[in-house]
Amino acid sequence: MFERLLNQTNAPVLERMLKFTAARQKLLAENVVNVSTPGYRQKDLSLEKFQGMLRERVEQRDHNGLGSTSFDDLEAQLENPQRGMLFHDGANRSMEQLMTDQAKNALMHNFVIELLRKQFQTMEMALKDRPV
Amino acid sequence: MFDVLDMGASGLTAQRTRLDTIAENLANVYTTHNAKGEKEPFRRRFVVLGPGRAGDPQKSGVHVQKIGLDPSPPIPKYEPGNPDADANGFVNYPNIDMSIEYINALEASRAYEANVTMMEVSKSMINSSLRLIA
Repeated sequence: MFERLLNQTNAPVLERMLKFTAARQKLLAENVVNVSTPGYRQKDLSLEKFQGMLRERVEQRDHNGLGSTSFDDLEAQLENPQRGMLFHDGANRSMEQLMTDQAKNALMHNFVIELLRKQFQTMEMALKDRPV
Repeated sequence: MFDVLDMGASGLTAQRTRLDTIAENLANVYTTHNAKGEKEPFRRRFVVLGPGRAGDPQKSGVHVQKIGLDPSPPIPKYEPGNPDADANGFVNYPNIDMSIEYINALEASRAYEANVTMMEVSKSMINSSLRLIA
């Protein structure tokens, strides 16, 4: 019952988004940690591409009916973005870009958490039959 | 997700080692003798960082690959009265350029700060995730 209940809301979408932001945070931290490593190439996950994939799945679900589509296999692809300056030591780094990205990523993470919390609260309210 | 904190810690250790090495260079900017007391100017040390955690290169992070010796020649200064001076009156001083060391120190401490910020943000993300169940 809960499986169906959870699958009919935005919860699976939000869950995938959380997994994405957590994985991206790890990569961004890895980039910051290796900011002085010669020859290190930046790693990242593309938010735009991942959101595109999510959107496709949501449209598919809207088309086929709620609970019909699984989101569990959605994974963002690891990329080596060619941004920042390529230094003599073969590393490309842009501290400003990294810090901006991690700030945006953290905000997105907290925003998704908040949405998920609200959804759980609504469910709890429905189960308890009174406001929590 | 907790792994991010360990990774940040590896960055902090690496940058601190870098800063230690810079401090050693600055401290020895006028050292003309080696540890045995022989007449040999101090050689500039520098840190080479490599990807992967120390002891476990498979884990993402950073580690100090080696502390290298700068092979550039010592800087001769004309000081005929100095007991360390050679026949022509020149004393060989370490190949350390203060301004380069200062710039490297600045870079290392900024990188250290960036790592701390990253860890703070990761911590707040973990905290908010925990709020989901608590």
